[in-house]
Amino acid sequence: MHEAPLLWSALLAYVVAGSTSIVALALERRADRSILALLALGLGLHGAALAARWVAGGHGPFITLFEILSSNVWSLTLVFTLAYWRVPAVRPAAAFVMPVLFILMGWLLVAHPGEGHFPPTYRTLWLYVHVGLGKVFLGAVLVAVGLSGLILARLAAQGLEELAFRFMAIGFVFETLMLVSGAVWAQDAWGRYWAWDPLETWAFLTWLSLAAFLHARVGFGVGPRASAVMIIGVFVLAFLTFFGVPFISTAAHKGAI
Amino acid sequence: MKALASLKLTAAALGLLAAGVLWAYFERAQSVPALVAPMALLALNLGCAIVLNPKFRAQLPLLVFHVALLVLVLLAAAGRLTYLNGRLELATGEAFTGELLDAEQGPLHRPRLAQAAFVNEGFEIDYAPKWKRLETRNVVRWRTARGEETGVIGDQTPLVLAGYRFYTTSNKGFAPVFVWQRAGAAAQRGSVHLPPYPVLQFAQQVQWILPGTERGVTVRLPLDEELIDYERASGFRLPPRRDVELVVDGRAHVLAPGASLELAEGRLRYEGLTTWMGYVVFFDWTLPWLAAAGALAAAALGWHFWRRFAARPWNEAR
Repeated sequence: MHEAPLLWSALLAYVVAGSTSIVALALERRADRSILALLALGLGLHGAALAARWVAGGHGPFITLFEILSSNVWSLTLVFTLAYWRVPAVRPAAAFVMPVLFILMGWLLVAHPGEGHFPPTYRTLWLYVHVGLGKVFLGAVLVAVGLSGLILARLAAQGLEELAFRFMAIGFVFETLMLVSGAVWAQDAWGRYWAWDPLETWAFLTWLSLAAFLHARVGFGVGPRASAVMIIGVFVLAFLTFFGVPFISTAAHKGAI
Repeated sequence: MKALASLKLTAAALGLLAAGVLWAYFERAQSVPALVAPMALLALNLGCAIVLNPKFRAQLPLLVFHVALLVLVLLAAAGRLTYLNGRLELATGEAFTGELLDAEQGPLHRPRLAQAAFVNEGFEIDYAPKWKRLETRNVVRWRTARGEETGVIGDQTPLVLAGYRFYTTSNKGFAPVFVWQRAGAAAQRGSVHLPPYPVLQFAQQVQWILPGTERGVTVRLPLDEELIDYERASGFRLPPRRDVELVVDGRAHVLAPGASLELAEGRLRYEGLTTWMGYVVFFDWTLPWLAAAGALAAAALGWHFWRRFAARPWNEAR
């Protein structure tokens, strides 16, 4: 199987799913089943595209900007689709989550799809552990961002703020695990567990911002709208850490998430 | 005391820590106090909260998480006081006896590098086209109470001896081996490490002072061919022609393996060409404890939120 037609078909399914969710929210209609089916179809096609690339290149999608964007579109969509399927209250948030994914998809389409070099230090189980945990973290925060969009647009049902808090808490657990596993990997990859390189620094700042959000939510009785703004702030920091820092940094830690 | 245990102080200290991290990231100067001061404040805040806040003590997983964070910070501090980070280079067949090219260490580090002796027995490195370095396999030999042992290290597989972790690096090259017989002194055998290859393939020469003299010699390795094929998959290898060129007082002498050069200060015999490998060595006794504390913190955090969220269904917010 060729990667390109599978990827294009997947992106088309995602775009139709996202557009349907936006229209459905605007018209106050429900199209939950169709959207879920389109997301699942997109994930299947996209998964096949990633597998085809993995087989052809002999390594996972961890190296080039194209691979990192593609694998993140897939993993973020997967986390959101699971939440969409299992937690009905999340479903209207698709109208806010999918446009974020559209940005990544647009970026993916202009990224060079050429092969990258798979360094010897990436031949370890820790790569999959560290990257997998990071993807769950960002996915959980993205779901919270979608819920925050609903709150800020005053489309929220009762209890969405608590739901967003829960997804942020999941994100905090997984980011903590991501940092711990990254330190274990860095020790053996570069002979040091923490060196304040740009990616480590910004990942730690993201962790601190998430910790500050959780403390503010628990301790200061922050209102739903302020809470939603804070969630979006944490996501922006995490997004820049994942997709900005690795591509302006010259450090060894290129952050192939 | 109550103010020291407050969540407001926690938020302020988290903000200060973020500011300290940014300061250290952009300025570098005075980065240690910029990080240590807010961490100390957070530790004080946490200690007071544990003592004064009964709600905090009642939530065991949350308490375990915060205490594990505190332990992480204390371990990291202890690690910085006792760590060692250094560099060394060994020619093939050469033993490491504890001498480093350069090192940084904590003020309380007790050097035990002599107990971490090992011999570099040579290496292989695979290359993909365009000089993309692949796997490094370095055979090393060391002595234990059970006798001699050998192993293969490289990339992310270190040699761990007496708590020191030796990692191969991308730094490696060629090393002509000489025997220097100074007049009236015992013969000395050793190697001269040429600049790293292939990164400095067009600069394979180095200045060398003959031991016990003030005589400077330029050692040069003329290479007639590209030893690592740029276009195809290849491997690190010695050149087929192993003559070296010695420049003494502006005059060049080409020596084949086994040839000698007579100088006023003594006799220099060229034994042959081998390779050298650059290593980094890292010592930090806190590593397993840091990993354990990190895992405990994450597990306790998961436990805390699990307990908290399990009480109310996720789809209740519908």
